[in-house]
Amino acid sequence: MNIAYQKRRMRIGMLTLLLAALFLIAIARLIILVAFDGPRLTSMAASEHSGEVQLAAVRGPIIDRNGEPLALSVETSSVYARPHELIASSTPDERAHLAAALGITPAELDRRLHHAAPFVWLARHLPLEQAQQAEAVGLDGVGDLTEYKRFYPESNLAASVVGKAGLDGQGLSGVELAYDRLIRGEPVKLRVYHDALGHPILDSPLSLKNSEPGARVELTIDGGIQSLAESRLAEEVAESGARAGSAIVLDPWSGEVLAMANVNAHGDSANDRLHNAAIQDAFEPGSTMKGLLASIALQDGVVDINRRIWCEDGRFHFGRFTIHDDSPHGWLALPDIIEVSSNIGAAKIALSLGTDRYYQGLRAFSIGERTGIDLPGEAFGLLRKESTWRQIDLANHGFGQGIAITPIQLAVAYAAIANGGMIVRPYVVKAIYSPDGAPILVHTPQMMRRALTPAIAHQMNLLLRNVVNGAEGTARRAKVDGFIVAGKTGTAQMVNPATGAYFQNRLVASFVGFLPADDPRLVILVVLYDVGHGHFGGLVAAPVFSAIASGAVRELGIAAPRPAGYESASIIPIDVLKHAESMVARDAVAAEIADDAAVPAGSNSSTLPDFAGLSLREALALAHQRALNLDVKGSGWVVAQDPPPGAPAGPDTVKLTLADDPGAATPSHPSSKSSAKRVRHARRGTR
Amino acid sequence: MAAIDRRLVLHFDWTLFGLSLCLAAIGVVSVLSATYQGPHHALDPLVIHQLTWIAIGMLFMVGAVFFDYRVLGAYAYPLYAVTLGLLAAVAVAGHSTGGSRRWINLGVIHLEPSELAKLALVLVLVRYLREEPPKGGWRLQHMIVPGLLMAVPVGLVLKQPDLGTALTMVLITATLLFVGGLNWRTLTVLAMAAVLAAPVAWHYMKPYQRERLVSFLDPHSDPLGSGYHIIQSEIAIGSGGELGKGFLKGTQARLNFLPEQTTDFIFAVFAEEFGFAGSMLLMGLYVLVIARGVWVARHARDRFGALLAGGITAMVFWQVAINMGMATGMLPVVGIPLPLVSYGGSSLIAMMAAMGVLISINTRRYLF
Repeated sequence: MNIAYQKRRMRIGMLTLLLAALFLIAIARLIILVAFDGPRLTSMAASEHSGEVQLAAVRGPIIDRNGEPLALSVETSSVYARPHELIASSTPDERAHLAAALGITPAELDRRLHHAAPFVWLARHLPLEQAQQAEAVGLDGVGDLTEYKRFYPESNLAASVVGKAGLDGQGLSGVELAYDRLIRGEPVKLRVYHDALGHPILDSPLSLKNSEPGARVELTIDGGIQSLAESRLAEEVAESGARAGSAIVLDPWSGEVLAMANVNAHGDSANDRLHNAAIQDAFEPGSTMKGLLASIALQDGVVDINRRIWCEDGRFHFGRFTIHDDSPHGWLALPDIIEVSSNIGAAKIALSLGTDRYYQGLRAFSIGERTGIDLPGEAFGLLRKESTWRQIDLANHGFGQGIAITPIQLAVAYAAIANGGMIVRPYVVKAIYSPDGAPILVHTPQMMRRALTPAIAHQMNLLLRNVVNGAEGTARRAKVDGFIVAGKTGTAQMVNPATGAYFQNRLVASFVGFLPADDPRLVILVVLYDVGHGHFGGLVAAPVFSAIASGAVRELGIAAPRPAGYESASIIPIDVLKHAESMVARDAVAAEIADDAAVPAGSNSSTLPDFAGLSLREALALAHQRALNLDVKGSGWVVAQDPPPGAPAGPDTVKLTLADDPGAATPSHPSSKSSAKRVRHARRGTR
Repeated sequence: MAAIDRRLVLHFDWTLFGLSLCLAAIGVVSVLSATYQGPHHALDPLVIHQLTWIAIGMLFMVGAVFFDYRVLGAYAYPLYAVTLGLLAAVAVAGHSTGGSRRWINLGVIHLEPSELAKLALVLVLVRYLREEPPKGGWRLQHMIVPGLLMAVPVGLVLKQPDLGTALTMVLITATLLFVGGLNWRTLTVLAMAAVLAAPVAWHYMKPYQRERLVSFLDPHSDPLGSGYHIIQSEIAIGSGGELGKGFLKGTQARLNFLPEQTTDFIFAVFAEEFGFAGSMLLMGLYVLVIARGVWVARHARDRFGALLAGGITAMVFWQVAINMGMATGMLPVVGIPLPLVSYGGSSLIAMMAAMGVLISINTRRYLF
């Protein structure tokens, strides 16, 4: 007994040593885990259980230039489920109840719950009441989150400009994409713990209202003009059988886009917000290119107003090619070539200009490069390298074949003719304001380069009036009551992408013009894609121009310079143009002003210019370029100015006194209230 | 037995009693941590259950003290037979969870017979070994009966399958045989046989059990699969640091990264929130329990008491060792509860009853 007892005690002792050793090993292992692997394991833990959750902010509204909202965000509720939990805790009847509350079929609900995912959306962006109904069904594993839904109160108005925001509040196209970073606001970033299934563990429900809302974007678009352009364009698309149409209304001085409409025949609005044909699609312009050709040729001096060109009686054999005119013509001068839109005349002018000079001239008009409009996805168009031009290409390019341009490029090129020769950068966003109303970004006009001298621009201005008003003009339907309109039609055959040849009976019809011709305020372009035979630009596009222009001048309060019915007065005989030098000389002032404007907007001279002796129109033009506000009193010429010339230019209004007799006036101090209205009023009064 | 002996109260082993309660308290704290969902959530029912079982366990523990452990020898075989019956019932009508059948649904409680089987095995082996060994110790031919006594429950448990409990049973048996006076040469032969049996065992293992062994050797070879448990446990322990993240501040366990956080990996839950210091405290409590158990074994008045104390102590020790080895990544993942701490009625009550027996042995030293 005793020996056995001793033995047992000894063995227990031996075992104890083993146990102690094992404990020491365990302690050593713990030390290794904590002290040596601790930092690594800690960071592994952190990366496992914590993460950043971004709660999207409310997107800022997009409004038109008059403050009408085009895009808003509304509070909605999105209902989600944890499928496993929901299925485990509910009967099919209860789920059918839930489906009814969500407005989906029970089968659809089951389909969504069939995912293995721990979290599925059941319905997103429901009205708050509907989500509450779903909540009231009272099932486990169902919850809702506040989300914001993009809402376009004017439906599809300016859809392709405004663009689209996605389900998760991210800009996808248009202004929504271009200014997404400002519109989307500052999301709330929360450091959250989440469990192994990825569910965020929030101790208390958080409202999205804690985030910084997005900025308010004010467009240059005028909702009224936009709406008119869209509806009139849609009518014409339907009537002419066109596949689609685009229209642009542009302020030629500033580059502000007042309307940009894209309409398609099928009414499939799904694409409206994602595609903007006016800046993203290039087309062969056809005869509208002749306006640019004539400008380049006049600027070059290779032709003048009087030189007559033999138009081959409608058939021009050029090597193995033949160029046709729609109707045969004999000797025509440049104004006639533009008025009747002779392809042969244009081809011959292009040939005499030569490849190099025509190409450089087109580049000066920004053809073949982006206009720089503040929208995503702008196309370059197609202007082939000059080195690849054959003579027949040169001839064809003269009347707009073999060159592809976007509608916005064409509008900007004609804006240069309208504004005295400057290429402006078009833009659709006028200003952006933070939620508290402070401006974040204010667009100022930006002059890219000079394409024409003011004198040539003025000559072109006169020539293009004949297209609308001349007896043989191709765009007599573009007339606008009470206004003189200048512009050019275009009817181009479409290229068959399969063969590379032209379709005989599929056309792109266009008209681009501006008004009032004497003081252009609006450049308007209308393009109808894929119309059938006989649908010339002057027949289908010009009436749309007329309708949009009539509405736009009313909307903007642009006064008719002459009584209605005076339309034939501006048919200008060719020999009279020679005596237009005096008018051109007057425009020299405008040329200087325009040259000043070529200085980037940010570097405006900081002192006030001298307005003395200027006419009201000249003074307004100068003030416009210097971004000054005028308060005008009287009529005639400027006789007094307050503050005086050379004073530092500030935000204050410059008060001008005008008088017919330069010596008669005394300085006055008109009140500064509502100066903009006074200026507009004064402008009307002078015409 | 009916009349309470004054000496029972006088010599009551408050140390073991106190240590058991401390460990049970740590268990409640850890289960609370592992199930804590935030201040707005109600107390998890698991915590209530655990408290209930501790209360029942205390009844068993105190009851065992007033029970003369020597009588247990007479009950050893019947108890053993009942346990085998329960294990067999599990195999036939058990409640299966996670791919294995371990529970019998008794309505109010899911009984886990393998927890009782460990205790029954200790008892039956001690009953068999209570005779003094022949001179030179037990030989191979004496091992047949204990071998069979062990093999039947081990086989049934493996069938569930529950590798951890089977392993514990083998280790308990080995310990008892060693303490009970196994011949050294026999010991060597058996050890060699065990080594040779390893490939055979491998052959009969379930694929998931093999995976666990492989992933134990290199847990990062399959971090989201079979290595996941070990890595998550290591992360919880390692990120706890020296002093821990604080009570209810643990992230890994609470956020469900750590699997089986109330049972097999409860040590990691505690270590995450109370750090190395907490681990040392917990381990210290076990060291004290085991040291006390060893002391009881050495000082028991009779061979039966000594072997019984040794068997119970071995049962506690091996479970602690396997569980902690598993949680710290030193051993493959074999599910086994941490004695007195892990959530679970069967293991808690069985373990507290075992502690009661240990106290009884120690207390009754003075009664004979």
